[in-house]
Amino acid sequence: MKAITANRLTDGRVIYRTVEGQWSTDLAEAERLDSEEADARLAEAEGEFGVAVGPYLIEVEDDRPGGQKWRRETIRLTGPTTGSTHRAA
Amino acid sequence: MYKYDTYDHSLVRERIDEFRDQVERRLDGRLTEDQFKPLRLMNGVYLQLHAYMLRVAIPYGTLNGPQVRTLGHIARTYDKGYGHFTTRTNIQYNWPKLVDIPDILEDLAKVEMHAIQTSGNCIRNVTADPFAGAAADEIEDGRPWAEIIRQWSTFHPEFTFLPRKFKIAVNGAGEDRAGIRVHDIGLQIVRNAAGETGFEVWVGGGQGRTPRLGRKIRDFLAPEDLLSYLTAILRVYNQHGRRDNLYKARIKILVEALGAGEFGRQTEEEWAHIREGELKLPAAEIARIRAFFDAPPIAEATAIPATGRADFAQWLRRNRRDHKVAGLSSVVISLKPVGGAPGDITADQLDAVAGIAERYGFDEVRATPDQNLVLPHVRNADLEAVFDALAAAGLATANAGLATDIVACPGLDYCSLANARSIPIAQAISSLIEAEGLAGDVGDVTIKIDGCINACGHHHVAHIGVLGVDKRGEEFYQITLGGAFGTDAAIGNIVGKGLAGDDVPAAIVRLLRTYLEIRDENERFIDTLRRVGDEAFKESIYVAA
Amino acid sequence: MLQLERKPLARETAQNQIEAGGGHVVEIPGESDWRDAAEQVRDAVQVDIRFSSFKDGRGFTLATQLRERAGFTGRLRAVGDLIPDQARYLHRVGFDDVAPERTDLAADWAKARARFSHAYQPAQDKVTPIFRHRQARPGDDLAALNARYRGADAADILRDAIRNEWAGRIAVLSSFGAEAAVGLHMIARIAPDTPVIFLDTGRLFAQTEQYQRALTETLGLTNIRMLRPDAGEAAAEDGDDRLWQRDPDACCALRKVRPLDKVIGEYDALITGRKRFHGGERLALPVVERINGRIRVNPLASWDAEKVNAYFQRFDLPRHPLSDMGYASIGCWPCTAPVQDDGDVRSGRWAGRNKTECGIHTPSRIAAE
Repeated sequence: MKAITANRLTDGRVIYRTVEGQWSTDLAEAERLDSEEADARLAEAEGEFGVAVGPYLIEVEDDRPGGQKWRRETIRLTGPTTGSTHRAA
Repeated sequence: MYKYDTYDHSLVRERIDEFRDQVERRLDGRLTEDQFKPLRLMNGVYLQLHAYMLRVAIPYGTLNGPQVRTLGHIARTYDKGYGHFTTRTNIQYNWPKLVDIPDILEDLAKVEMHAIQTSGNCIRNVTADPFAGAAADEIEDGRPWAEIIRQWSTFHPEFTFLPRKFKIAVNGAGEDRAGIRVHDIGLQIVRNAAGETGFEVWVGGGQGRTPRLGRKIRDFLAPEDLLSYLTAILRVYNQHGRRDNLYKARIKILVEALGAGEFGRQTEEEWAHIREGELKLPAAEIARIRAFFDAPPIAEATAIPATGRADFAQWLRRNRRDHKVAGLSSVVISLKPVGGAPGDITADQLDAVAGIAERYGFDEVRATPDQNLVLPHVRNADLEAVFDALAAAGLATANAGLATDIVACPGLDYCSLANARSIPIAQAISSLIEAEGLAGDVGDVTIKIDGCINACGHHHVAHIGVLGVDKRGEEFYQITLGGAFGTDAAIGNIVGKGLAGDDVPAAIVRLLRTYLEIRDENERFIDTLRRVGDEAFKESIYVAA
Repeated sequence: MLQLERKPLARETAQNQIEAGGGHVVEIPGESDWRDAAEQVRDAVQVDIRFSSFKDGRGFTLATQLRERAGFTGRLRAVGDLIPDQARYLHRVGFDDVAPERTDLAADWAKARARFSHAYQPAQDKVTPIFRHRQARPGDDLAALNARYRGADAADILRDAIRNEWAGRIAVLSSFGAEAAVGLHMIARIAPDTPVIFLDTGRLFAQTEQYQRALTETLGLTNIRMLRPDAGEAAAEDGDDRLWQRDPDACCALRKVRPLDKVIGEYDALITGRKRFHGGERLALPVVERINGRIRVNPLASWDAEKVNAYFQRFDLPRHPLSDMGYASIGCWPCTAPVQDDGDVRSGRWAGRNKTECGIHTPSRIAAE
């Protein structure tokens, strides 16, 4: 399955497009799309103004990012993998 | 260091107003993302994987205490409590909100800082020797020239929409610590037969997809002609640099296509028409700018302290540098704790550095192309106090120039251009080298890691370079050998097929062990490599893989 | 059509010619080599340089080269995919005019065009670059200026200062005090949009605030710039509102000197209403002086009280409500008293203290070293 992701215009945070055409920071709330409807929904998202920057399609498998970009999309979803070195002061 | 006058202040303030307005127009739709992107980039604002990233300019790497403290304030207030020093001697924040950035810029302006032209297809921050004004081997301090170039290039009406980014380096010492041959323009300060100083001009260096070393197009340029000559180079580039292919748009491709001789000829032809014009620098302005970069303060000529403390002694051995003034030293503050993220620094550590610089460092700090910091002027008598204060802040890692002093780009953990991660690889390599107790025996060696071919982590010019690539969703790492940054600049060779990330640290350790086995006495890693060639090392990389 | 206001004469001539059907307009792509372009535009009265993308900056160098190397003096117009944020760059490289594809953003274009007060580099707009300003500033020859203004009418000095000598880079510093109406009246007749800097110290007499509003209205001044102390600093340094008592110098620094310092860099010269008859350090006041490297113009330096009064009467100017009550010089209420019969006009300021100036007209200690 596919989902639509983007970054939020005001703060850049990772967002996913919901069934209602809203945006959520939670992948679980993302609308799952099959290949046929994906492009049309993406075109819809691209045509909207205001919330999202640069929407694009990602693969989702078992509620997790999948496909060849699984690592990139997992890092987008869960944050840097650089471990404990960024313990904020 | 340079102090803003009212002109500098008003331009920075006007730039903030402009950016605030640009953000508003983006939010209300008067600017599309396609239009806004180059505008925000020219103010250092990227959109990364997780958030916006703000790159703050540290002109020619020079900072004072209040500026460092402000960088800490920004990390604490608008970010997640840390910042990241880059190979271009800037600092970047990974988590600011777009709508907060104008306020961040206001805070920066109060301490004479900004984010102007830290990205975009324009003239970027000028690189200089981090030990400028202090180094024992200095011909002339390059920073006044870097400041003159900063001003000339800021909001340049002709050169703000270039084919691609444009980077200039100025080196004023015998040893090249600014990297003049890997910049679009490299300026080496030289002395002519008459004893006057001027510039050797190198053009067309750069890393990225097509790494090239710069070519010399002029042996001696008189200082007052600097800006007209730079203008002539940029005019040739702006008119003839390629715009049809992003990867062929840097000046290095034009210089290669035309040949350095022809590029130089076209530059000189243009220059002949403008050298006697408005751009000729008045001696009074050169003197005015120079006056900001005072000679280092005179100290009592105290010797380097003898010490029975092993940790302090090791730190002195690795992180102290000779100073041109007797009684002073420069010290490197390593931002490479073993297992840490290269170049990262917390808000509290920034505060600590500010305090140490103000108390012991004549209020000066430098950022280096190795992602470390330098206190350029420290009294020998204060070295132990500086060491203790740095140690208390977790900043006294005694590994400057060692194998654990690894340079790495942000990679796939942050960067939207990256194909693979770099920071975790750096962390794993430095941890393993430390666990094997190798760093001290191996001595001077540079390891630099990139998560994509754009090479922000400078892997092309590392003795041991590591380049991450993506193969069908998996990370692989190519090893390059024999690169060098600086006086003996060289581009490394790819030695073979990529390794899985997990195999990289062990391969590097085997490679370093091979060096220890085959080196001649006191021979540095790079010299052994140059003597014996890649083959002996190649075997050790792949033997167990 | 969004004018960039360059060389109005050449532009008008060209425009007339075009309208009369006599001119020859040529369009060339921004990516043209300037030598080829120079051939094509030789007889043109107007050249349109087309930008295929706002990101392609070749047209900026092309325009420069047509002006600088080819010597083209006709109208240059930028057309195509351009955004308002490029207005100033276009103007600076020699364009007179721009016709962007998107035509509904005239206000943004105008704003962007006027965004920056100075420039670091010389360019085709012939604006003096900052490094030459820095050289020129010490060359603002005080002796020559004072000689020129010697014996001149105050209004003539003001006219020359505002319209000519420091045009666009000059402001008025006014307390809206007892004599302020004289200078402001002259300025309102010359250029009512001249910035008038008014320091609202937070300690002003209510009458001063009222007078400021009334006088601004009466004279038709359109550019009052109200400066207030930084709220954070005021809370930190004067939390109990008694700083004026403990340390009047620190209070003036907080409420007058520092707020003014923050904006002073925007102007090369400030006009003041100081007069020699005020006494104290003002006895030797020149018409033009330099304080901390910046010019002060004192057109009323030689005026006395009688002349001030006559001017008020002649133009029927409103008086400050306190001046009828014996206040000859009016500052903040805690530090201003009426003048005793034998005192000079400023003797009611910081009365009883060894202080005669607030600091905005005196060189800073740093600069004096």
